[in-house]
Amino acid sequence: MTKYIARRVLQMIPTLLIIFTVIFVLRYLMPGDPLKATLGEEYNRLDPATIARLEEELGINRPFLVQYFDHLGRMLRLDLGRSFIERQPVIDIIGYRLPRTLQLMLGGIAVGLLIGIPAGVISALRQYSWLDHTLMVIALIGLSMPVFWQGLMAQLLLTQSTTGIKIFPVAGFGDGDPWYMVLPSLVLGTNLSAVVARITRTSMLEVKGQDYLKTARAKGLTNRVVLFRHHMRNAMLPIVTIVGLQFGGIMGGALVTETIFNWPGLGRVIVTAIQRLDTPVILGVLTMGALTFMVANLITDLIYALIDPRIRYN
Amino acid sequence: MNSTASNTPANPAQVAQIAPIARSNQQRFMRAFFRNRIAVLGVFIVLTMVICAVFAPVIAPHPPNQINPVDRLKPPSLQYPLGTDEFGRDIFSRLLYGAQISLVIAFVAQGVAISIGLTLGLVSGWYGGWLDDVIMRITDAFFAIPGLMFLIVWVSILGANPISIFVALGLIGWPSDARMMRAQVLSLKEREYVLAARAMGASAARIMLRHLLPNAVAPSLVLASLGIAGAILAESSLSFIGLGVQIPNPSWGTMISTGRNFTSNAWWYAIFPGLTIMITVLGFNFIGDGLRDALDPSQYR
Repeated sequence: MTKYIARRVLQMIPTLLIIFTVIFVLRYLMPGDPLKATLGEEYNRLDPATIARLEEELGINRPFLVQYFDHLGRMLRLDLGRSFIERQPVIDIIGYRLPRTLQLMLGGIAVGLLIGIPAGVISALRQYSWLDHTLMVIALIGLSMPVFWQGLMAQLLLTQSTTGIKIFPVAGFGDGDPWYMVLPSLVLGTNLSAVVARITRTSMLEVKGQDYLKTARAKGLTNRVVLFRHHMRNAMLPIVTIVGLQFGGIMGGALVTETIFNWPGLGRVIVTAIQRLDTPVILGVLTMGALTFMVANLITDLIYALIDPRIRYN
Repeated sequence: MNSTASNTPANPAQVAQIAPIARSNQQRFMRAFFRNRIAVLGVFIVLTMVICAVFAPVIAPHPPNQINPVDRLKPPSLQYPLGTDEFGRDIFSRLLYGAQISLVIAFVAQGVAISIGLTLGLVSGWYGGWLDDVIMRITDAFFAIPGLMFLIVWVSILGANPISIFVALGLIGWPSDARMMRAQVLSLKEREYVLAARAMGASAARIMLRHLLPNAVAPSLVLASLGIAGAILAESSLSFIGLGVQIPNPSWGTMISTGRNFTSNAWWYAIFPGLTIMITVLGFNFIGDGLRDALDPSQYR
């Protein structure tokens, strides 16, 4: 197992190198002058000498390959440079915001599983009943709403004094108060819970006809034991797969959710950075995002082994 | 399938009588689909939206960009069925014109996705070997990229003109089509009729187009309807961030994005575009699910 993890971690290095290169090339292809984009209106008031000095300082006047290897070299030494706009070290920006994005994503995944799995299990156990049909139509409705609109509606209905219902704070991080996290997590988790409910239902129905369930029942186990130990446990694998596959979608959803709820995560930084060509932030944040994504995939694979002892990695 | 025929004692006359009643797979498929009330509702929703988009100039009570300073942010009324925006423009009319943009983008993007996906899936499944490996690794890579991230980077490099958005949404959508097509080809490749076509000297292109592709029409329809649903949502997210198509008529996502600033004094502004997106996407999802259920052979009983 340790060997397997070590190999997977080693494999990440070339992948990260490729991703970094692609991001660097893409950033270079973006039209516009980074200095102009950073300074905005102010740029026009500067004299050519100052502009040349600033370009020299930021290192954006050098040839493409020199810039590439310079950034790469610093990246390898874990020096991500400073933001052109904020003048803050990129590593500090990531250190502050990445945990908050991850916190929100975990909240969303928790909501997705806590709503999705029970809904899917109930649906499968009562297949073709009105409850099954209702739950599945609700799941489809959940899949059909844009995340940002859900966020707006949640704010409109549950946080404003206009409707008389003021359960949750409108937005913000609230210095880590978990109450501030509930609404964004619910919004982020809705889509996932719909996906999970549908997969759980299918998977439970597939396991339903298996002989080992009949055996378990025949030997006199209670319904509960059969359901939890034999039925659900064997139906879990596709759910882990789908959560792993949805991870990219959850990242995208987090980006939009952060914008609506004013959540201090990476999503809001990256859109601004791309629009204002803040190269160090773009390179640092996107590479870090890719790394997070790869680690999440590794964890998904390890959870497989945990759920299904037949799976052995070596 | 037709188990009764094999169980009854062989009576040629009876069999001959039964035979014409036995339906073709296609008819069974259509029957199963249209017996599903939710699928029919989906067809109804989508047709309504298409009619709204096509006849927007006829249906719309006001020109979509007509500014009426006097009627700013008016709540829904007889004159303005869904209220007005901050320039006094009729939201209902703007939604009708928005349907044109959203549907065209979604249909074309899905067309791009299906073309790429089916071609790569065919080639990958038919030729196998290193070509298959390369194509499948690229597919995996595209699957792994967070769609919205890809869209943001793409649009900031290539701009937000319609063509670039079509291609970008298509590039996000093709991997599932490619995987489905490849699986189809792998299962069909060894069938007798394909072997026969090969033995008769049919070219690879002919076999792919004439024998393999037609078998993937039904599953492609499932993926296409779900893909269109996804494309509408993706386009609206892009517009919401402010990177959507830059054209005078508003897209639904852009309307929500602007309406967001007026939620406290004009609730109708952000709600109705969102409801429209939800109902449209739901329609395509209903159709996709209905098609999938109808495709499942266990339903033909």
